[in-house]
Amino acid sequence: MSAVAALVGASALALAACSNSPANTPSDSASGSSSSSSSGPTGTVTVAEVNTFFSFNPNTSNGNVDINSKISLATSSNFWYIDDKLKVQKDTSFGTYTVDSEDPLTVTYTINDGVVWSDGKPVDNSDLLLAWAVESGYFNTKDHSFDYAGDTGTLGLTSFPKLGDDGRSITLTYSKPAADWEVSYSLQGMPPAHVVAEKAGLADSAALVDLMKGEPAGSDNKTSDQMAKVMDFWNTGFDSTTLPSDPSLYLSDGPFIVSDVQENQSVTMTVNDKYVGDHQPKVSEIIMRSIADSTSQVQALQNGEIDVAAPQSSADTLQALQGLTGVNVYTGYQLAYDHIDLTFNNGGPFDPATYGGDAKKAALVREAFLKTVPRQAILQAVVIPQKPDAEILNSQIFVPAQDGYAESVKNNGSDAFPGEPDIEGAKKLLQEAGVTSPTVSILYKPSNPNRVDDFTLISQSATKAGFKIKDDGDEKWGSRLGDGSYDSTIFGWINSGVGVSGVPQIFSTDGGGNFNGYSNSKVDSLASELLVTLDQSKQVSLEQQIDALVWGDYYGLPLYQSPGVVAVADRMKGVDTFNSNQNGVWWNTWDWSVSNG
Amino acid sequence: MTSYLLRRLLASVLILLGASFIVYILIAYSGDPLQEYRASNLPNRAQLMEARSNLLNLDVPPVLRYFLWLGGAVKCVVPFAQCDLGSSIQGQPVTAALSSAIPSTLQLVTGAALLAITIGIAVGIVTALRQYSALDYSVTFIAFLFFSLPVFWVAVLLKEFGAIGFNDFLADPRFTTRTIVLVSLISGVVWTVILSGSWARRAITFAAAAVVTGGIMYYLSASDWFAYPGIGPEVLVVLGAGVAVAVTAIIAGLQNRRALYASLSMVVVGVVMMTVAAPLLNSVSLGLLLLLGVLAVGVGYLTGHLFGGYDPAQSRKAAGLTSFIVAVLVALDRVMQAWPTYYNNGRVHGRPIATIGSATPNLSGDFWVHAADKYGHLVLPTFALLLISLASYTRYSRSSMLEVMEQDYVRTARAKGLSERVVVVRHAFRNALIPLATVVAFDIGQLIGGAVITENVFSFKGMGTLFITGIKNVDPNPVMGVFVIVGITAVTFNLLADLAYSALDPRVRVRA
Repeated sequence: MSAVAALVGASALALAACSNSPANTPSDSASGSSSSSSSGPTGTVTVAEVNTFFSFNPNTSNGNVDINSKISLATSSNFWYIDDKLKVQKDTSFGTYTVDSEDPLTVTYTINDGVVWSDGKPVDNSDLLLAWAVESGYFNTKDHSFDYAGDTGTLGLTSFPKLGDDGRSITLTYSKPAADWEVSYSLQGMPPAHVVAEKAGLADSAALVDLMKGEPAGSDNKTSDQMAKVMDFWNTGFDSTTLPSDPSLYLSDGPFIVSDVQENQSVTMTVNDKYVGDHQPKVSEIIMRSIADSTSQVQALQNGEIDVAAPQSSADTLQALQGLTGVNVYTGYQLAYDHIDLTFNNGGPFDPATYGGDAKKAALVREAFLKTVPRQAILQAVVIPQKPDAEILNSQIFVPAQDGYAESVKNNGSDAFPGEPDIEGAKKLLQEAGVTSPTVSILYKPSNPNRVDDFTLISQSATKAGFKIKDDGDEKWGSRLGDGSYDSTIFGWINSGVGVSGVPQIFSTDGGGNFNGYSNSKVDSLASELLVTLDQSKQVSLEQQIDALVWGDYYGLPLYQSPGVVAVADRMKGVDTFNSNQNGVWWNTWDWSVSNG
Repeated sequence: MTSYLLRRLLASVLILLGASFIVYILIAYSGDPLQEYRASNLPNRAQLMEARSNLLNLDVPPVLRYFLWLGGAVKCVVPFAQCDLGSSIQGQPVTAALSSAIPSTLQLVTGAALLAITIGIAVGIVTALRQYSALDYSVTFIAFLFFSLPVFWVAVLLKEFGAIGFNDFLADPRFTTRTIVLVSLISGVVWTVILSGSWARRAITFAAAAVVTGGIMYYLSASDWFAYPGIGPEVLVVLGAGVAVAVTAIIAGLQNRRALYASLSMVVVGVVMMTVAAPLLNSVSLGLLLLLGVLAVGVGYLTGHLFGGYDPAQSRKAAGLTSFIVAVLVALDRVMQAWPTYYNNGRVHGRPIATIGSATPNLSGDFWVHAADKYGHLVLPTFALLLISLASYTRYSRSSMLEVMEQDYVRTARAKGLSERVVVVRHAFRNALIPLATVVAFDIGQLIGGAVITENVFSFKGMGTLFITGIKNVDPNPVMGVFVIVGITAVTFNLLADLAYSALDPRVRVRA
């Protein structure tokens, strides 16, 4: 009996036998990417991303999440783009821009004839004018405004622009020279003006242009009802976690167009056959899949479900990726970097006021403290496991990928602070200052293991030189920045990669990101000069001067750049570096190609 | 009864209000929603902070903010009012986020829950009937082993072997001789443990199980079954007959020949349907398929009734259940027919078992190809959830069954000469299920809340993901949305469990 039961059981378990022979299997060559035409774009690339897509307008402060911008990079065109060397490259197949005059700064932008949206309507001066209105904040009032994620400071210097007679050009005139003019005016990811016009109840894009011509400048004025409708629709009308039933909400003037969105899971883009520019795609389809978990990205790559994995970098992830076969792993730096800042204005050990205004004495104490920072050991603990060839960051302004870095490092005095701490030197400096065992409180985020490593190593080293370190780890560190309740803080900043307006933001006396009361009149005047300097090599030289002054004032120390990693399946070509800015691998979708399907 | 219900409902509302207040305050104080801008060096930092502050009413203290939220949430239960659970930090209405998260979660957990309940109870009952046997100890050990494994680790292993390894195997689906021998020996040991008995019987069991397993594996390998799977009419006859015998043995006892014949005839109907009516299934929808399932049960029921016998109810049940299982097998066969098409699809490119998500994006194909796709995506997460939730069901049902088997009335039943089958199935089993009603009700409440870790590891965007993202972003509204749904389900199912308890067990009475 039991043997029979075993027989029945075993056979039931296996669901055996076979009626499904190879002969009755239909072949399926038409579906998916296996369609093999000899010319034209072929193949599918699947890219994993951490975040989920939720807006076709990445320029609003809500929609301004990396993934929305990445999708827009493939589905929109602009006069320029930023490459993986952090250089601004022009796309003259979309349009051109020329500086008509440097004083006053006047720039004319012209879209090429024949450039159209995917519904066939031309990309014209209504698009140019709407982008300007958004990025300048010209019409923004207290009650109604374009909820633009970027800074309106640069284009805010322009008066109402002049539209060209050809219907596809615009001339912007600045009231004073603006250093970042080139990267401030952008059509990247801007929704089509004619759609905004129609959805806001206007007849067409010409009516929108007329509306803007008649609308008074913002600030104290009241927004007209019609303009308020335009603003409201621009702000929220393109937010959608699914594919809208109305195709005008996801038009494209870039090489690809969104064809499907699986809510929170994936976005599919196919070739935009109305696209006429130089960035002609080589793959017929790009699929973005949202995978938050790093290990899941690695395994999905291994299982062939994705071609590109860009997980959060960690030592484990790097090791797992390097263990895969048929996969190329690229490590690099992100634009984020950790740094330690000293507070100049809180009556603490680094504040001249503590020593009766003796700036020299305070500087000696600062120098002594910075001498004890073991930057190489911190790098070893935090970054080397994720990027074996990493080096310490030696500039307060530049990252190594930028042109000015190497020269700035040579002259900014960073060689006085090599990676290894100089305990004896620090002791001598303290002696010279006549200060014994000053207490230094260090503010950092205790739930971030990297910052804890930073703090622990600095604290050990500084104690050896006679400093008393007060552990001021606080989850609410962010809201305490700038309140003077700490003597020193470790946190991260993000280099903008291109543009210079971030520099005065941090180092000017009244900069919005100046949390430590740093003030140097030379830096202030150089920074204001920087903002109105148009020549790029001059900008670099000004930044280098500021870098040297900041180091000379013992402001603090940059520690390291955060490492990043991207892994690409062998079958895919076109991604061969880790791109450090927020665009990730998406900056050159038109160069992507795949061998075998 | 009515007043009991009203009192319970009122208490539930108060509990929900109190709990929602506590949860809201906890999240509001758990961190700083402006964190990402605080240390920012963006030129428009102040403006971005103000925008977010306005969106989330950050200028209102959390205690008062709770009442703002409550004001919107109350509208969800007031008729004709616009339900407003607030917006997420990204500006998406929470109601919209929930409406996409709930189906996703249900898709993930339903199958796992049903399987866990069915298998868990069955295993629990069997181990109770063989208390302190090798089987009992083995099952206890294995159940607790899986119960104590962290799910993220199980998931990684499942992906490594169940997806990546299995997909590699599918490229050339042949077993090596070594594998066949090894698996056969293991199968022999497993069956010997399950069936036990005298040493001679054990030897026979071992040999038979090993030989049969080896034979099947050899056949599967040699016939490329994994590349072109299927059940086919011949095997359906064998499997169906086995099912019919097993179902009849449990429900009616094999001595009830009418019930057995009724069940067996359903197998015949099933085989006929498979061969004759197969084209019907080519363009089927989910609704139609469910209808066919119901129809199968109905036909079985009717057939059982017509066969009659001394207890027509038993025949009806046996034939109905057999018919349903056979129908499932027929549907399974149809999915297997679509497997090669799915396997060779350009978007699957020969890696059918997926490690992430709930579907292959943009997959083209008919209902059955999509069914195969669902299988390929759900099999691993379902298995992971099943492994960790099996333990509680086996333990509860085992102890419950043991307790019932000790009762006086069971001894009485045996004493009056009832067969062991009747004692177990009719007298003991049903009463053993009563305490499980509570456990199941609790579990369903929890399931809606999503399996946070499993969802994260398998990239399912359900309630768990919504919850955890909300917590990470210090974003109270999505978390509260999840809380409202989970809280209401938990309270409702507790109430239902209590009512069901009184309906199932005459000793328990709900009194006003």
